[in-house]
Amino acid sequence: MKSALDQRKRCALPRYGNYNCVFRYLLEKGVNVKCILPPEITRKTVDIGARNSPDFVCVPFKTLLGSMIEALEAGADTLIMPGGACRLGYYGELHEQILRDMGYEFEMINIAEYGDLGKNILKIIKRINPKAKVSAFLMAALDAVKMLDYVDEITAQMYQNCGFEINKGEYKKAYNRFLSDMFRAESRNDIEDGYKRVKDAFAAIAIDKPEHPLRVGLLGEYFTIMDPPSNLYIEEKLADMGVEVWRWLNLSNRQFKENSDRNLHVRIRDLCRYDMGPTSTETLWSAKKWAEDGFDGLIHVKSANCTPEIDLMPMLQRVGQEHKLPILFQNYDTQTSDVGLMTRLEAFYDMISMKKRV
Amino acid sequence: MEHAYLGIDVGSISTKGAILDKQNHILASAYIWTEGDPIGAVKKLVHLLGEQLDRDRYKVVAVGTTGSARKLAGTIAGATMVKNEITAHAVGTTAFYPNVRTILEIGGQDSKIILVENGVAVDYAMNTLCAAGTGAFLSSQAKRLGIEVENISEWALRSTHPTPIAARCTVFAESDLVHKIQMGYPKEDIIAGVCNAVVANYLNNVGKGKKIQPPVVFQGGVSKNKGVVAAFERTLGFPVIVDENGHLMGAIGSAILARQSTKRCVFDFGMEDMEFTTREVGCGQCSNNCEIICVYRNEKLIDAWGNRCERGQINVK
Repeated sequence: MKSALDQRKRCALPRYGNYNCVFRYLLEKGVNVKCILPPEITRKTVDIGARNSPDFVCVPFKTLLGSMIEALEAGADTLIMPGGACRLGYYGELHEQILRDMGYEFEMINIAEYGDLGKNILKIIKRINPKAKVSAFLMAALDAVKMLDYVDEITAQMYQNCGFEINKGEYKKAYNRFLSDMFRAESRNDIEDGYKRVKDAFAAIAIDKPEHPLRVGLLGEYFTIMDPPSNLYIEEKLADMGVEVWRWLNLSNRQFKENSDRNLHVRIRDLCRYDMGPTSTETLWSAKKWAEDGFDGLIHVKSANCTPEIDLMPMLQRVGQEHKLPILFQNYDTQTSDVGLMTRLEAFYDMISMKKRV
Repeated sequence: MEHAYLGIDVGSISTKGAILDKQNHILASAYIWTEGDPIGAVKKLVHLLGEQLDRDRYKVVAVGTTGSARKLAGTIAGATMVKNEITAHAVGTTAFYPNVRTILEIGGQDSKIILVENGVAVDYAMNTLCAAGTGAFLSSQAKRLGIEVENISEWALRSTHPTPIAARCTVFAESDLVHKIQMGYPKEDIIAGVCNAVVANYLNNVGKGKKIQPPVVFQGGVSKNKGVVAAFERTLGFPVIVDENGHLMGAIGSAILARQSTKRCVFDFGMEDMEFTTREVGCGQCSNNCEIICVYRNEKLIDAWGNRCERGQINVK
């Protein structure tokens, strides 16, 4: 129920990694609607999503659906479904239909319907809130992009270093503080303050890193790799073993920086000549780059039956064979267990550390 | 007193144990069925090993556990080293076959391939979503045909024309098998066909994209099945080594790992008389509802696990 004071729309995006703080800032500051934050993704989210989804659809579909249901339960009246370059682009319609069949009443804004985001962004804004001001949106968008950049930078820094901290848990504490700062940010100043605070906190943490630490690169499918609950916190688990964990694929690199670096595909022309899907070029490119940089191992993260990523596996295997680089192919399903993942990660860690010692 | 090292491998179907001395000689070994009771199996195993070991001469100073119940087994046996089965198999096999290039392993519920170069594992793969083509499939099909698992070998080797059986998925393999039985194919041809199907499935799923180079060592419970060994040799085109202790390799590997680590704790064979119980507790702090397993020795809490975050942490005094 809307309160008399706050007549704004109550919009929600499903949970996606650590990015909901950015979505919230953009919606509240730029479009002047209320942003409903769905609860963090847990076993329950996946379960209610899976129960209401077709069985053979990929896990991100189920997780997103589960998170939308939780958002509606939390009081959202408008759902925003971001587009996607793979089947994800078709998911919005299906999600809407399933939710309507379940009896929910809401407004659905499916960004995938609008085609080119750059040309149609103003149409989308006006659809969400007809009274939104373009100038306010542009200002907020600049801040939000900055925030996105910071979130990705801090996340990368965190997992490259937290495995070597002397007092366990210091990185995570500073990182969680940073995320909650971002969730509460009301202005550019708040964003900058939070960023500065976490930078200072990170700089003060004592780490004991060997000269040549084990370095593992994570690559793979768009949703699973960026959403820690979906990949069962693979980055944290790996880092805790004492590994530098690298991941190129994040929203800022994929959505903003890649556009200024359109020649990624040129550098992997010996491996494939066509763009094969939403993240294929990036996945292959980062595999090749890390192999040449002398990484100790790569982990390919994908939800089960993700076609674009399955198509890539032969090329990844070729990169692995040419550079003698072990690659772990990790599939995720709603049934994937923590223990099974841990077994494979431990074995992978043992293998690369024994290999490095020789 | 000479030092000895115990390795315990608790798998889904069978529980294996081995005691090694410093020179990797096997002083005692046992292979029993887990039968859904890992704690009981470990106690029984310890009893069998204790009978074989010359306890006046040797003292077990380190214990390693591996297999899917490694954590539970490690807790109740007071292990100094708890390691996953992939590492244990690689370490065990390379200790006996330093030149090995490929290790094929098919167990009760899992299957893996480990590529080795210069005695060090360089790549591995393990089945993820599907347990097709593992020991469990072979034993259920043997039961359907009214044959003991142990006798599959002789039936399979008798066949001259193995029946082709759809190998992509064991659910379809099973329907195909039933169809072939009803069509009247001879039993030995069907069994040889099942063995071929296991190999085809393994090479297509687990071994996909991996370069299998000789010397190849094949182990795990299924390696005892000569029908599958013959099918592997036929498909790969070179001989496959099956060690007589291949089924113990995980236990041997974890004993070696226990020896290599510096941690020492004298093993108490008296554990077979202790009472171990487990209890499951729902955490309930958030909607993950982690199931926390508490392990008690003689009604005293000795370990707990299963929580995803610190909220569900149970501290053992």
